[in-house]
Amino acid sequence: MDEEIKIIEVRKAPKEAYMIFGFPDVGLVGVIAASHLITELGLTEIAYIESKLLPPVTVLHEGLPHSPIRVYGNHQIMLAVSEIPLQEELVHPVTRKLIDWGREKEVKLMISLSGIPVPGRQDLEELKVFAAASTGETLKMIQEKGVEILMEGYMVGPQAVMLQYCATLKLPAVTLLSQCFFNYPDPEAAAKVLDLLANIIGVKVDVSKLIEKGEEIRIKARDIMRRTQQELAKMGKSQEFDIPLYIR
Amino acid sequence: MSIRKRRSIFDVIEEYFESVEQWMDRIRESLIEGPSWDCKSCTIKPLSDITVASDKVIVTVDLPYAEESTIKVLPIDKDMIEVTAKMRRKISFDDFGITHHKGEFHTFKCQVYIPVPVYIDKMEVKFKKGILVIELPRKREYEIPIK
Repeated sequence: MDEEIKIIEVRKAPKEAYMIFGFPDVGLVGVIAASHLITELGLTEIAYIESKLLPPVTVLHEGLPHSPIRVYGNHQIMLAVSEIPLQEELVHPVTRKLIDWGREKEVKLMISLSGIPVPGRQDLEELKVFAAASTGETLKMIQEKGVEILMEGYMVGPQAVMLQYCATLKLPAVTLLSQCFFNYPDPEAAAKVLDLLANIIGVKVDVSKLIEKGEEIRIKARDIMRRTQQELAKMGKSQEFDIPLYIR
Repeated sequence: MSIRKRRSIFDVIEEYFESVEQWMDRIRESLIEGPSWDCKSCTIKPLSDITVASDKVIVTVDLPYAEESTIKVLPIDKDMIEVTAKMRRKISFDDFGITHHKGEFHTFKCQVYIPVPVYIDKMEVKFKKGILVIELPRKREYEIPIK
């Protein structure tokens, strides 16, 4: 199945960059954060995914068709972003393909941006960001940055596949999860996760516009959120609320 | 002692088919997706969510740009509520960069189906950070005695 997915490079991809993933998930944290990062850092498209396995969808921007899953970048960052929710059966092959491609580009750290849903999110004044890593060393590096670790629990979705696959390949990878709404776009959570990302990769990212435009983003993101909800339900996303029986 | 009027088997069957039809309508509605906006009424359908807890049903609705004083929650049936709210500013297709549709929106409107019996008249409504939270206490129709 992986062979049926192609990454078409439209520009030379940087070597030894950070590779960031922003896919539709709870609160659309990853996608909102990725979209802001593209604008703020002026990232340009360097590659896109082509596959017959993807739904028959093209995204029109200024009258021209674009693959819904694209990679943006500059000299130090590569950012994989999807404008459509990944169907359950595509999560593994698409995520693995991107990781294999990133590996060829000698990526120094893979980072996925996402959220962790909290009931009563509207009552939280301060959002926490948690992290999990693919290796012990990466986990230690993240802890040294003062990030709270997600010690026990289930993770469902592209970030789960990314972390597990990178662990198998012994590649350094981190998943950053901000507390967020389950079913509503959450720009505030995206801002939180970007603050931490900036700290980890040493890049300045101004999130003030993201906060200012929060309501506008929530209106614009309704339809993609609705479709994401349907895919998350199929994936069994609510399992993230479960308490695991950890077998040592 | 009150005398309960016995319903005929035909009434029971008719009621059963009516409830199946209502259920099918809801399924159909959730399967056939329409746009989340309506140009004629200038309304946008907000995102909503429902949680059924042991003692209450919690409905939330995402209402960014909503003018708090204009929010209305109306019971339109024993198992359905309607939420409407005016926006602080009008939103148009131009704001989304869309040129192939024309229209602007100034109101949120959605209907939420409540899947279990509740006291609709005892609902409590809160609005925080653009999220409307409606809590409806659940009705206990009967209790099974523990022997």
